[in-house]
Amino acid sequence: MLGQRQGRIDDTALIRQAQQGDRAAFEELVRQYDQAVLRLAMNLTGSPDDAQDIYQDAFLKAYRSLGNFRFECSFYTWIYRIVTNLCLDHLRKRQVRKEDAPVTTDSDGEEFNVLDQVADARPTHHPERDLLRRELGTKIGAALEKLTVRERMVFELKHYQGLKLRTIGEILNTTEETAKNTLFRATQKLRQALAEMR
Amino acid sequence: MNCEWVKANITLYSYDELTDDARIELEQHVQRCDDCATELKSVQEFRGQMSALPRLEPSPSFLAASRMRLQEALETTEQERGWRRLFFDPTAWLRQMKFSPALATVLLMLGFAGGGLTAYQMGRNSGTSGAGVIRPISGNVTPATAPDAMSIAGIRTITQDPNSNKVEIKFDSLQPQTVEGNLNDARIQQLLLYAARNNTNSGLRQDSIDLLTQRPDDAAIREALVSALRYDTNPGVRIKSLEALGPYVKNDVTVRDAMIEAVLHDSNPGVRAEALHELQPVKADTSVHMALQYLADKDKDTFIRRQSRNMLNTMPEID
Repeated sequence: MLGQRQGRIDDTALIRQAQQGDRAAFEELVRQYDQAVLRLAMNLTGSPDDAQDIYQDAFLKAYRSLGNFRFECSFYTWIYRIVTNLCLDHLRKRQVRKEDAPVTTDSDGEEFNVLDQVADARPTHHPERDLLRRELGTKIGAALEKLTVRERMVFELKHYQGLKLRTIGEILNTTEETAKNTLFRATQKLRQALAEMR
Repeated sequence: MNCEWVKANITLYSYDELTDDARIELEQHVQRCDDCATELKSVQEFRGQMSALPRLEPSPSFLAASRMRLQEALETTEQERGWRRLFFDPTAWLRQMKFSPALATVLLMLGFAGGGLTAYQMGRNSGTSGAGVIRPISGNVTPATAPDAMSIAGIRTITQDPNSNKVEIKFDSLQPQTVEGNLNDARIQQLLLYAARNNTNSGLRQDSIDLLTQRPDDAAIREALVSALRYDTNPGVRIKSLEALGPYVKNDVTVRDAMIEAVLHDSNPGVRAEALHELQPVKADTSVHMALQYLADKDKDTFIRRQSRNMLNTMPEID
């Protein structure tokens, strides 16, 4: 808690310096949050290249609009709001293009989900367990694709990023109640989709 | 509290989003009600299942590359001025009035000093041409400190002394510089990593990868090699990276996955064949087994199919 408050005080000083045109202060702010931003974008898009574009757009947008930041929320919430909006746009476009899964084609012309190729960093000496985990990972990836982009976002922020629903509501410019309902719908859909795949 | 309420809120309970009162009531209800206890178990199982999804984690080099790209873009980006700036701000105006004579004097003095210094420098370097922003390298300068990655404009040449592990790298920066040192030197490693990732000249990328392969035990270097294997557009660079990563395929899962990716998807048959060769020491990995099975059954390339089959025959059965 104390650390959080200290973080916000530090942020305030850095934001004020950055608003005066101090680029080093802005870069310091970037360094505090950019790993989390990149991780969020990578996991939502499934593509490091797209994630890097979103990262770049998000911080450039933040830099350009920093003069309008009025300290009505934390910088963390503000930057997450920018990046989640960019991710939502990206996911919507992908849905329209019917590129639902982050797939690529192999030399045979067959499609592969790139998430299947992601290295699981957890050390393991159990190949069969590893195989089951990969299979389950594929099923989960397919189940996540059945969610609406907003449900996908709320689930990512809650389940994988561990944010409180109140913060998620602030980030997505909505109420905590709406975030709760969206999470409920997302989990119901996922449970149903996983049950059907068994 | 009834079962309907519990079922509507059990997800929030599992994510620790209920108030203390509601949480305690729900826990008491679940102890009395078998249906709701089953539902709670199912929600908890679901949460466990969802954690099996592999998570992407930005590597330090990817993060560094993203930061560099952002820094470059920030150079040409202006902050937007808010609507308030459109209006007359008397305090700012007064402040400007107050300090403007002093500021003008300081600027004038700096101008004179800068002009004098430039004339002096030009006099000393009379043999060199023009006053460009980035000049070609002319002399040998060994900076005392490590070059700042942001100040590197591009790598020109990389030369290794055949009789020692001394390397000479010429690179452009705002101040053209040449740096010399052996392969253990952090500055040399930094420049080689930069050349491996950023240079448009594939020959230079190959040279830098070639030198980096002499120290693949270093985690950052190994990561650069994996990155080159995955993303470099030049097959020669990818093959060099594969050869250097070979000894790590058994123990480093990232290396192994990059090799599987190469053997399945690389556009160059030579790279795929080399990746297949490097995967030979791996005997009991399900992913390798699955990849080989796929290649043995479906690959268009006869050599890859036959080689995959041979490798599968030498592997132990995996249940």
